[in-house]
Amino acid sequence: MNRTTGHQKAVAAADSAYVLNLRNIAKRFGATQALEDVSLALRAGEVHALLGENGAGKSTLIKVMTGVHQPDRGEILLAGEPIAIGSAAEAQRHGIAAIYQEPLLFPDLNVAENIFICHQNRGAITDWRGMVREAERILASLGVSLDVRSPARGLTLAAQQSVEIAKAISLNVRVLIMDEPTASLSAHEVANLFRLVRDLRAKGVAILFVSHRMEEVFQIADTVTVFRDGRHISTRPVREVTPQSAIADMVGREMGLLERRTPAPHGEKLLSVQNLARAGVFEGVTFDVRRGEVLGFAGLIGAGRTDIGLALFGIEPATGGSIRLSDSERTIRSPRQAMALGIAYVSEDRRQLGLSLPMSISANITLPVLSRYLNRLGLIRTGQERATAEQFRKRLAIRTPSVDLAAGKLSGGNQQKVMLSKWLNTHPTLLILDEPTRGIDVGAKAEVHAMIGELAAEGIGIILISSDLPEVLAMSDRVLVMREGRQMAIFDRAEADSETVMFAAMGQTTQPAITGAAA
Amino acid sequence: MTLPPILRRWETLLLVLLVAIGAVNIAWSPFYLGVGNIVNLFQLSIEKIIVALTMTLIIVNGEIDLSVASVMGLSACVAAYLFHAGIALPWALLASLAAGAAAGAFNGFWVAYVGLPSLAVTLAGLIGYRGIARILVEDRAYGGFPDWFNALGQQPWIGPVTVSIVVFLVMFAGVAVVLHGSALGRLVYVMGNNVQAARYSGVRVKRVKLLLFTASGTVAALAGLLYAARLGSVRGDMAVGFELDIITIVLLGGVSIFGGSGNLVGVGLSILLILNLRNGMGLANITGNTQTSVIGALLVLSVLVPNMAQTLHTKWKGRET
Repeated sequence: MNRTTGHQKAVAAADSAYVLNLRNIAKRFGATQALEDVSLALRAGEVHALLGENGAGKSTLIKVMTGVHQPDRGEILLAGEPIAIGSAAEAQRHGIAAIYQEPLLFPDLNVAENIFICHQNRGAITDWRGMVREAERILASLGVSLDVRSPARGLTLAAQQSVEIAKAISLNVRVLIMDEPTASLSAHEVANLFRLVRDLRAKGVAILFVSHRMEEVFQIADTVTVFRDGRHISTRPVREVTPQSAIADMVGREMGLLERRTPAPHGEKLLSVQNLARAGVFEGVTFDVRRGEVLGFAGLIGAGRTDIGLALFGIEPATGGSIRLSDSERTIRSPRQAMALGIAYVSEDRRQLGLSLPMSISANITLPVLSRYLNRLGLIRTGQERATAEQFRKRLAIRTPSVDLAAGKLSGGNQQKVMLSKWLNTHPTLLILDEPTRGIDVGAKAEVHAMIGELAAEGIGIILISSDLPEVLAMSDRVLVMREGRQMAIFDRAEADSETVMFAAMGQTTQPAITGAAA
Repeated sequence: MTLPPILRRWETLLLVLLVAIGAVNIAWSPFYLGVGNIVNLFQLSIEKIIVALTMTLIIVNGEIDLSVASVMGLSACVAAYLFHAGIALPWALLASLAAGAAAGAFNGFWVAYVGLPSLAVTLAGLIGYRGIARILVEDRAYGGFPDWFNALGQQPWIGPVTVSIVVFLVMFAGVAVVLHGSALGRLVYVMGNNVQAARYSGVRVKRVKLLLFTASGTVAALAGLLYAARLGSVRGDMAVGFELDIITIVLLGGVSIFGGSGNLVGVGLSILLILNLRNGMGLANITGNTQTSVIGALLVLSVLVPNMAQTLHTKWKGRET
């Protein structure tokens, strides 16, 4: 009995050592289980790193902690007391603050106003002088020299981050969430930021640190937690973690859920890209695509994969390098030009960039090649339009009562099929698919995968951009890996496995990197 | 909530209102149904309803052109100025149409190629083009046009129908075909819904916008000339404020101010509704100011009712699930 009591006491003590304790959190969006029974505990004076692939559930968890989303199940304990976080304001009251890759300052307000945006000394008259003094005090305590009267607009990203941190401190923050705070900072600025983080840690703040940069995690973190597919996989002290073990945890899903596509015979070279670049976005991209080949683009979100697609399709033309199509050099400056060269780009954003939602399915499908559907007077032959739409409806099994239905009324999977139809109807030789299965259900996903196989077999060259690593690995003949605007590697089918690709995507060589806290 | 789709349409509501107004007018005035009154009813607003047709294209496309009334004034002043400078009237008229096209293209350039909001660009046009018109004619009133010109705006041509009305009817049919049957019309809708999706589909969105604004300027210039012909004289402040009536007609016709929806049937009904309402109120000796207030109230309702209906509908649905 005594022992049990002792154990219970120990548990209680351990619990109270945690500032914020999330228990068995679950959150579902439509068909996607974003978080499933996830637990995470943050200790005072500890930097807790959270790792995971795209879609692992990190952002959702942050949104639960900051009151943006309400969990479907589970409880949140603050210093042992259960709390509800119903809104961003409540999160602030509990001392939970978050800073992001892109600081969210008001550009026209000055630094002091931004720091005190949530809690200016209310009353009839704002105490400007007091506010300025207090802002200066906080920034000084951070060792940051900034004119608190200057507007936020002109500040560097690093300075804006400092203002965000000052804002958090002014709120008496107990839990600070940092969501990829270093993604747009230089090495020097990162070093400064880490000094601030260590100061906060020394003051007893619990810090949740999300980053895709493995070396930073090992520099700053005390504890490392890995999520995968909305589940908690592991939590370990940093000394027990290596880049290899972390990445294995991040990708280590059971393969075989997705069957590898049988490769189609490859024909002649369709597209050859040399040193392609767009200033400030990506550079040094070199690859080629053959008829019947599927080239996968892997990488983390923001690595520049979509930007290459946009450059090839002329939406945001490349600023350097060369593009050769069927062995003649081309510059592609507009989507129309790209289409004339046989390129089609199926956008990742169906609703914003892909479809005109209030318009009918058939009008969407014929849009890029509307001139094919005109009679001699220049009027649209709607019968012919509908006939085309009907063909695709059968071929891609678009589930709809009629092709006259507004595209917006369809499910995500069927909208995706309408997008595919629209671009197949342009008879492309090179098809760029950007996240073709994002947010669609399993059945539709399998159908899209089958379609990719069929199209490759017909001799179309395909570039498959996807954040779904198993999908890229299963569908691609070769996998090009991007990281922060640079091409890291191209792997052949045989060498591409999830760990190798994820290593490249996270900027790790296949050899073990320096591990341990090098603070 | 259980109304059949046809009765939920905006056009149905307009039709019901139109019939009601017609009935009241018939009961009120013995002159209402006379051929003279019907022609007059169109004649009095003919220039506005002509410009409303191109304005429909612009608004469905998700833009707005506030400069149309100033372009009407500008075109009339250009024609009058050149004519009085000794240039043969046909050439002066052509030059004034060209000026309208140029004014529209200038608007279109800033909107399409520079990416400025059309509200700001055409507001500048509203002020700027009016300024040019006033510089050209100062505070004079130019008259003394040849009879054939004045006849364009005033004289019956086919039966009791004037040239202006024929122009309107032909243009109505033309715009209906363009908007609802042609590739251009399809692009106008697609861009109004989602200009990014149009761009990502290879639609030359800049060209379409430039074309629409140029058409708007040209048609406004034509309307300005017809107005000059009807009045028989030209002044610098001609057609001031017409843009508001024109936009009112289009919005009351069920064209969304956000672009992407609406049709020419609605605009046609809206034209009939407003003309008959004004005519009826005129026959009933209701003052112009009151007429304007009533039409203002109609416009507020036309924006409010569909939005409120939508909100209520959503709430209702939310409660069901």
